[in-house]
Amino acid sequence: MRTAVALLSVVFATAGSLAAQHGSIGGQIVFGDYREVSSDLHYRGSGGGLAASFTYKKLGIEGSLASISYDPVAGSTATVSFKATQLDIRARYYITGPVSAEVGIVNRKAKPEFEAQSVGAVRAGVRMSYPLGPGVNMGLRGGMLFGSKFSGGGTVSGVGALELGLNMMVDAMKGRLRLTGDYDFQRIARTTGSGPGKADVPIQQALGRIGLAVAF
Amino acid sequence: MRHHLLLVPLLLIPAGLGAQAVQNATLKRAQAAYDNLDYRQALTLAHTAQRERLNGFDRARAYELLAFTFSAMDSILKAVDAFKEVILLEPERELDPNRTSPKVLSAFSVALTQVLVVRQLKIDSVDFVGGQGDVAIRYVVTQPARVVTRVTGGAAAIKIDSSVANGQVNLRWPARQANGDPVPAGNYTVVVEATIGQNSFSASQPIRVTQGAVDTLPLLLSLPGYDYLPETEIPPKSWKPMGLALVYSGIALAGTSALSQGNLGSASFREAGIIGGGLMAAGFVVMLRKPAPQPARGNILYNRLLREQLARRNTEIAQDNVRRRQQVALRVVPIRAAGGR
Repeated sequence: MRTAVALLSVVFATAGSLAAQHGSIGGQIVFGDYREVSSDLHYRGSGGGLAASFTYKKLGIEGSLASISYDPVAGSTATVSFKATQLDIRARYYITGPVSAEVGIVNRKAKPEFEAQSVGAVRAGVRMSYPLGPGVNMGLRGGMLFGSKFSGGGTVSGVGALELGLNMMVDAMKGRLRLTGDYDFQRIARTTGSGPGKADVPIQQALGRIGLAVAF
Repeated sequence: MRHHLLLVPLLLIPAGLGAQAVQNATLKRAQAAYDNLDYRQALTLAHTAQRERLNGFDRARAYELLAFTFSAMDSILKAVDAFKEVILLEPERELDPNRTSPKVLSAFSVALTQVLVVRQLKIDSVDFVGGQGDVAIRYVVTQPARVVTRVTGGAAAIKIDSSVANGQVNLRWPARQANGDPVPAGNYTVVVEATIGQNSFSASQPIRVTQGAVDTLPLLLSLPGYDYLPETEIPPKSWKPMGLALVYSGIALAGTSALSQGNLGSASFREAGIIGGGLMAAGFVVMLRKPAPQPARGNILYNRLLREQLARRNTEIAQDNVRRRQQVALRVVPIRAAGGR
């Protein structure tokens, strides 16, 4: 995780010397819904985060760091809250029309460690972007997670970890401020054990982010 | 009756010649005798007057009185001879066909064909660019003759035409020297010389030639009748932004529902709903807003074509102006009435 943060810092530090570039950095309000194993282990929470993006010609890089305090919902068997810290990094390359390809990583750590699964994976997917009007853009993305690692162990089948996202971006003050909204849905069909002891322990998170960024 | 018809033109002679009146007393008496139909007395007095000292006008009037008197006395040959003298003295002399008897007119016409004169030498006032226009010269030769038309007054005489002509002659002179250059500014004389054997007659008309600069054309700021079109246009309002936001949000919600793990309970749509709602609100606002101007490709191409045409036309004008600055505008004006001898 430290390596990823350092990499992100280097990317944005060198961004200023490039031409034909657009970048933004800002804060986010994050709210989410987290479920694990069964409907009884259900959390909801909110928190804050940071997000940054940088675009150069056809290449775009986005990164966000969110900290969410999840509390058990009423009726849940869970009794202890936990704090999730999630890092998302996406590199995007424009292909044609509204279509871009995305690759990146996701890393989520839970504290206390045994209250929820920490997970790390590589993501790959496609984004469809469309300008709604002057200064207003939206995008829909879908992808898969590969090589998922969990703090409690377990595996995921080839198509078992999926992502879906919706995002919008509204420019204000002649493009100097940027109001953003992001929705990320993540479903990981994790299993543990093998043979007769094999058990489905899925993880599902829906995350909403509303942010305000300074564009440069 | 016949005599009265003959009388009319003679009475009008002074008025027809610029109010110049007969000076000689004998000639006045001859005219009075003619007016009183005393033709013998008129002839006697006219001959007497001719032996006296007469100015040119009186001499012409004396011959004309004789011609009219001979016509009245049916002595046509003598009338023709008298008219020939009149024509030689006053080549431009004309009789008014509305007020003169046919017999007199006939005698006058016959006389015209029997003397060699160049009459009615006319040169029109004209303005033109040197090398691109000419001066119209007209005259009448009364007998078939070798006619040479020249312009004198410059460094060397310029021959305009040399031909055998009879009757009306129309010539065009480009006002150029032998080397092709426009004639310098100054006073010139157009001389028409007609020759038959030993008999010759010449008429001349002075002209003034002035030179000036040829006007140049101003460069065009726009092509007449063609206006530039706006290079951007505002597209009509559309439901598309709202519709797309609705579709994208719907896909996100439907996808969330479809991808949700069944044993984890019903999916949470709170997050997707909030972001999707915000997106639809943005789409709704965009739909209501005045659309941003979009480049009008057709108009841009049209304007580019117009600018190219304008530049091309101005280039042509500039080239034309360079040529015009090397040209000379000529003005040719006749100075006074033509004369002959």
